Amino acid sequence: MVSLVREAPMDTCVSGQQAQRRAYVTLVLISLFCLAPFFWVLLAAFDPKASQFLRLPDSLTLAHFHNLLTNESGVRWIMNSVVIIGSATVLTLIFAGLGGYALSRTQAWWKRPLLYAIILVRIVPPPALIVPVYKVMLTLNGWMHGFITGLTDDAALQTTLLRMFSFVDGYLGLILIYTALQLPLAIWIMKTFFDAIPKDYEEAAALDGASQWQTLRYVLIPLALPGFAAAGLFAFINAWGDFLMPLMFTSSPELQTLPLGMFRAFLRVDAIDYGFLTALAVIYTLPAVIAFAFARRFLTQTFSGGVKG
Amino acid sequence: MSKIELRGIKKDYQGTEIVKGIDITIEEGEFAVIVGPSGCGKSTLLRMIAGLEDISSGELVMGGKVMNMVPPDQREIAMVFQSYALYPHMTVADNIGFALSLKKVPKEEIAKRVKDVAKMLELEHLLERKPAALSGGQRQRVAIGRAIVKRPKVILFDEPLSNLDAKLRVQMRAELTKLHREFGSTIVYVTHDQVEAMTMAQKIVVLHNGHVAQMGAPLDLYHQPDNTFVAQFIGVPKMNLVKGRLQNGLFTLPCGEQVQLDSGYGSAAELQLGVRPEHLQIVRGGAGWEVDLVERLGVETFIHLHCQTQEQLVVRQEGDCQYEVGEKVALTFAQDRCFLFETDGKRRLPAVAVAAAC
Repeated sequence: MVSLVREAPMDTCVSGQQAQRRAYVTLVLISLFCLAPFFWVLLAAFDPKASQFLRLPDSLTLAHFHNLLTNESGVRWIMNSVVIIGSATVLTLIFAGLGGYALSRTQAWWKRPLLYAIILVRIVPPPALIVPVYKVMLTLNGWMHGFITGLTDDAALQTTLLRMFSFVDGYLGLILIYTALQLPLAIWIMKTFFDAIPKDYEEAAALDGASQWQTLRYVLIPLALPGFAAAGLFAFINAWGDFLMPLMFTSSPELQTLPLGMFRAFLRVDAIDYGFLTALAVIYTLPAVIAFAFARRFLTQTFSGGVKG
Repeated sequence: MSKIELRGIKKDYQGTEIVKGIDITIEEGEFAVIVGPSGCGKSTLLRMIAGLEDISSGELVMGGKVMNMVPPDQREIAMVFQSYALYPHMTVADNIGFALSLKKVPKEEIAKRVKDVAKMLELEHLLERKPAALSGGQRQRVAIGRAIVKRPKVILFDEPLSNLDAKLRVQMRAELTKLHREFGSTIVYVTHDQVEAMTMAQKIVVLHNGHVAQMGAPLDLYHQPDNTFVAQFIGVPKMNLVKGRLQNGLFTLPCGEQVQLDSGYGSAAELQLGVRPEHLQIVRGGAGWEVDLVERLGVETFIHLHCQTQEQLVVRQEGDCQYEVGEKVALTFAQDRCFLFETDGKRRLPAVAVAAAC
C-alpha cells in the first residue's frame, strides 16, 4: 500500500514529499479509527466511571474485574469456557494428528475424495447444521440420561454426572460439537504438515528398532510440533470465539460460557454497566492472546538439516 | 558378520516387475557394491534386504535364516540412507545413541559407545550439535555412526555419497574402505557411480532392468565383460562399440577399416567390435579418421574421431599430445584387447579362449 502511494506522486509533478506526508496522515487516521474501539474497551475496563464514550480515565481501578469475578459468576464462565474449549482442542489435536498422518501416508484411491469430503464439512455454515445435530444430540441425550439415572440414586451425583456427560445441556455435547467443527481444518493442516516430513525418518526409526508407538513418540510428534501448534491454535481460537453453540446446546446458567455470559449481561434490562462489560471483554480476549503467544514458540520452530537431496 | 543369499528375488509393484529374479551370494565380511543406472531396481533390492519393502517372491537368507518376514530391526542390519535421515530435533549424540536407547541399554554404556564411535569418525567435538549445524560430510559421518554403533552384522548403504561434492566423495570413499577393513561387517552398497564400485568393492553386481547383467571382482568386470551393457557401464570413458562384419578372423568396419582378430571367432555378417579407448593407438599422417574433439585432462587426453561413414571412436592418448580438430589420422587396434559382441549384446567368445593378459 505504501509503495503504491509512493509511486504515484513521482509521475505527477506534485512535490513527492508532501504527497507522501498526506498519505501517511491518511493512513494514521484510518488506523486510529480502527483501533479506537480496542482502546475504548481497554480504558473503560479500568475506568471507575466507564461510559460509552472514549475518554482517558481520571484514575484506574480493578473494581470491574473484582465485581466480575466475585459478585457475578465470572469465574464459572471462564472455567466453563476453558474446560469445554480446552478439551475440544486436545481431542481435535489427537484425532487430527492420527488422521492427518494416515491421510498423508496412504496411497489409496479414496484419499482425494475423502480429503475433499472432509473440507466440505467445513464449507457448510454451522447454523445450517444446528437442527440435524440437535436432533442427533437429543436422541443420544435420552440414552445418556437413562444410563446415568440407572447408575446411581444419589441425586447430587446424578446432577453432576448429567452436567458433565449430557449431550444437550452438558459439557460432553459441546466438547464433541466443537471437536467435530474444528477437525476438518485441523486434519488438513496436519496432513499437509506430515506430507512435508520425509518417510526416511520413519524408515530410519524402524531400522533403529523403534516400534510404531516409539516412532510416533520420539520422531514424528517432535517433528510435527509446529503443525500441532498451528492446528491447535486455529481450533482453540475458532471455538473460543463461538457464541452460537452454547446458546443452542446449553440452558442451565451453571453451564454458561464466557460469550454467553457477556451476551446475557448486555441484555439485562437495568442500566448497562460498561465497566463490567469491558472487563468481561478483556478477560474474554486474554486466553486467545495467551494461546497465540504459547503456540508462536512452536510455530516458528522449524527443523532442517536432517535430510538432504 | 553374516552371509547374505538372495534366491530368485522378485519385486512386483502394481503389476510392473521391477526386480526380475535375482540370485546373488554375498560372503561374510564382503564389501559388495550393487551398481546400475537409475531405475534398474538396485535401491528396491537394497530396501528388500533391509526389510523396508516386501519381497514378492524368492528367498532372502541371512546367516542361514530365511528373513523374508522378519521385521527390519530384527535382521541385525543397519542402513545409511541417501538423505542421511538424521533426526533433526536430536543432537548428534542422541542421533547416534537412539537405537541403543530404544533397546534400553544403560545410559553410561550408551554414552561410552557413542563416544567410541564419535572418536572413530572424528565427531567428538560435534556431539552436542543438531544436524542443521553440520556440513554435508559431517552429516554423512553421523549417519555412518548411527549405523555402526549398533554393531550390526550387515551395513546397507543407499547411494551415501551422492550428495557430497567431488572432493569429499573421494575422501569418503577411502574412509569407507578403511572402515570396512577395521569393522569387518558385511557391506552392501548401492550406487549408480561405477567409480565408487570399482574403487571400493570386493564384488560388483551390475544390475540392468531388474536383472543381474554380471557380477564379479572389479577388474574381472573390466577385463572380461559378459555383454555390451557391462562393457560400456564399467570404465570411463566407456568402451567403443562399432558394427561390422567378420570373416576368417578379419573384422571389417563399414568404412573399410580392417582389424585382425583371432581366427577362432568364426564368421558373421552382423557383429559389434568393442575396444577400450586405451587400446587404440593413433598413427600420425595416416588417413581414414578425422579428429572431432580433443579433451585434455592433463594426465591424459581423450580424442574423439569419426570416419567417413560416421562411426565414432574415443582414443586415450598422453596428456601432452598435440592433435588439431579436423586432422586426418589412422588407427591401430590392440587386437588381443578387442571384444566381439553379438547384436543382442552378448559377448562372442573365441573357440579357443584367448588368455587376456592383465
